[in-house]
Amino acid sequence: MNTKIETAETKLELEIDGEQVEVRPGATVLEAARELGVEIPVLCHDDRVDPAGCCRMCLVEIEGQRRLQPACTFKASPGMEVKTKTERVARHRRGLLSLYKADHRLDERGRPVSRGVHDKLADHIDTYGTGPELPPVNAPRASRSDENPYIQFDPDACVVCGLCVRYCDEVEAVSAITLFGRGASTTIGTADQRSLLDTSCELCGGCIAVCPTGAMTEKPSLDQPSEQIVRTTCNFCGVGCQLDLHVATVAAPKGPSQTVSQDLGAERSEVVGPQARVSETMKRVVRVTSPEPGTTVNDGNLCVKGRFSYEFIHHEERLTEPLIRGEDGELHPASWADAIARVAEGLHGVKQRYGADALGFVSSSRCTGEENYLMQKLSRAAFGTNNCHQCAAT
Amino acid sequence: MEKKGAKRSRIIELLEEHGGMRPGVAREVARETGVPEADIFGVASFYTLLARPGAHTRVCQGLTCMMAGAGRRMEELRESGVEVEPVSCLGQCDRAPAALDDKLELVAGPRGAISPVSDDQAMKLGAEDDASYSALARAVEQGPERVIAELKAGGLQGRGGAGFPAHFKWDAVRNQAETTRYVVVNADEAEPGNFKDRELMLRRPHLMIEGMAIAAFATGAKTAFIYVRGEFKGCRRSLERALEAAKPHLDRLIGGLEVRIVEGHGAYICGEETALLEAIEGRRGMPRLKPPYPTESGLWGKPTLINNVETLACVPAIVDRGGEWFRALGRTEPGSKLYCISGHVNKPGVYELPLGVTLDELVEEAGGYLGTPRAFSPGGASSGFLPMSQRELPLDFGALAKAGSMMGSAGLVVLNDTINMAEAARWQQIFFEDESCGQCAPCRIGARVQRQAVDRWIDGKSRVGLAHVNEVAWEMNEGSICGLGMVASLPLQSAMKYFEEDFT
Repeated sequence: MNTKIETAETKLELEIDGEQVEVRPGATVLEAARELGVEIPVLCHDDRVDPAGCCRMCLVEIEGQRRLQPACTFKASPGMEVKTKTERVARHRRGLLSLYKADHRLDERGRPVSRGVHDKLADHIDTYGTGPELPPVNAPRASRSDENPYIQFDPDACVVCGLCVRYCDEVEAVSAITLFGRGASTTIGTADQRSLLDTSCELCGGCIAVCPTGAMTEKPSLDQPSEQIVRTTCNFCGVGCQLDLHVATVAAPKGPSQTVSQDLGAERSEVVGPQARVSETMKRVVRVTSPEPGTTVNDGNLCVKGRFSYEFIHHEERLTEPLIRGEDGELHPASWADAIARVAEGLHGVKQRYGADALGFVSSSRCTGEENYLMQKLSRAAFGTNNCHQCAAT
Repeated sequence: MEKKGAKRSRIIELLEEHGGMRPGVAREVARETGVPEADIFGVASFYTLLARPGAHTRVCQGLTCMMAGAGRRMEELRESGVEVEPVSCLGQCDRAPAALDDKLELVAGPRGAISPVSDDQAMKLGAEDDASYSALARAVEQGPERVIAELKAGGLQGRGGAGFPAHFKWDAVRNQAETTRYVVVNADEAEPGNFKDRELMLRRPHLMIEGMAIAAFATGAKTAFIYVRGEFKGCRRSLERALEAAKPHLDRLIGGLEVRIVEGHGAYICGEETALLEAIEGRRGMPRLKPPYPTESGLWGKPTLINNVETLACVPAIVDRGGEWFRALGRTEPGSKLYCISGHVNKPGVYELPLGVTLDELVEEAGGYLGTPRAFSPGGASSGFLPMSQRELPLDFGALAKAGSMMGSAGLVVLNDTINMAEAARWQQIFFEDESCGQCAPCRIGARVQRQAVDRWIDGKSRVGLAHVNEVAWEMNEGSICGLGMVASLPLQSAMKYFEEDFT
């Protein structure tokens, strides 16, 4: 007898818009559609959180189901027939987008406003169109002033999909925000509507990253359109999170402190030539985002430092070259060779006069494990003291 | 994320104990339960009795109460310096206009009528409540299969509104591989026009409890929950007394049954079965996606039988006298049915009649029409309005559905020719806008769009909104997660369809 053993490798086959596709058991209709490259619009979905099926954007027809079903939650089953391109689905998308539009802040051209990283509502309206032209509903949502320096929320640009709430709870395990109120007044709130600074919020800004309509925004990035994205590695700790630096041309601040060294390294040749000074503009990092989830080690997530602490890049007091204090008591630019020689000389002097244990070596949590290893090696092997420490060790 | 072992299901009662949504309460409840503070605050903000706490008078603005002068009453109260909050239907349509005082105790007119006891009734509201639990004894003797077979033979349809055959659910729960199962009694009666479950719980609590115990026995559940709306303080007291008297019988016959009464806190949507489960679990009462159905994955993911109060109250008679007997009580569909009638009739109340009687027969029981009838709402706000030309329709699940309306839980409201149907539709649309849970956009935004459409017509004689009513209704029906959004446009749509003269 031939017994078929069910394993994780067993695939099941279903049909979407007349095309066959194989998926693993447990896969959703949305995942199956992606395999085929069939576009199903979503607002409230993110692979990192449990699907909620509440934005209703991804409803499709499934053979045998009386009602339209959300592709993001509906499990694929063998022989299932899914239709995403019927008039019923198209009419639903238009009708739904009309409702969303009537509940949304619009710009002067009548398009949904987004000041964040995604603009999915406007994108979907461009792709699928709208149904009835409805007057604004002016939903009575509570707004909340919040003096935190980083995260801003605009209730009237929110589609109340709750993705930020689920992300904060399921991915960050912080649970600082909640759906607040009921019915048309439902919005995003905090406990007792306090400032995020007075909640469990860690200001990671993940709510901004997932918000499909830019209702959650980085305060420092408001009205700063970016022209270019530069991929880099975050240097705040050793994890190696990848960052996308959004760069924009801005007016250069005036004054003598404006020097070559403050410009963005990656754009050095382009920016710092004489023409850059003449035009009095410079390129600056105006926003930091994570690469798409699933593509890098940080899986779309960042912490407060990675996302928001980038002012140092352009800070006028930033050190960008070695400085040695001269006889005159002032700091003077120097070469690395000279600077290292000066440090070695000073340290050896202390060791000779007071012994190796008069020295201590402290390295930074911003260093990688390898760098920290080298630091303790310098301490123990080169200078002969166990007085070595790292700032995150206690 | 909540801590391991967090006591989530306690948060709603704790919020109530601490006085509802006031500063610092969420933090205190978070400390006591291990559920994140923001989460608790979000729960509190969902339920009107928690979100708007405080000692004030709550006046019903349901359709029947508005017809009976609730608007005037609110003005009078305000003028006399009383703090008034207009609230959704209080389930006292037979005693309109109704209000709750600052302790949530009822302030209303004299109690409505009930039908005289007769042998062709399964529930006999007027009879002495029977605490002998002889039907449960008989069920135990017969065994679960036979009980479910009798339900099937009796053709009992769920009395909560959907009319789904009861034996399917009982069978489905009974046949689950998972052995931890629950029975949940849906006593969150809150649909404008309905007050039958209230009368059952007040007059015949043992009937419902016995039905519940038979359900637990047949499905193998060891724990039962009764979810009673928070505005029904009298019902809760009645159930508590009856449960105490029932305990020895339950212990003796089925080895005990753990019964917990859970109070609602002002959210109509919690009458939707999966929203009700969310409420018991201590969450915002937002309906779940279906499938999976509660029979497979219900309370805490376990197989759960959810039945309406009246459905369970029919069970003892079915077990006692047999399914065939029950089936024969009905005229067009099986069984006898509790019809609630209010509005412009002489004796509003609850009448137990054969399923499928006509409006005129029901109104005759209720002492006749007041004035010249113009319209009726056959099954609560969700059923919309029908013109008197349809008075011959049998009041049953099938015929009303065919007529584009629904039986719902048979909360009939009669409107006479003094009522403008646009106004009547507005009261119902206000109800749906207030009671939408806000989870999905079609209902959250659509219910407001529809209410504003009728507002613009009444307040500004503008037809702009009316032009889109049907298309928005289509999307609400297709796109909403649960039944509330699907039917929330029906009052306005049906008023526009049958009473065009009030919209031109």
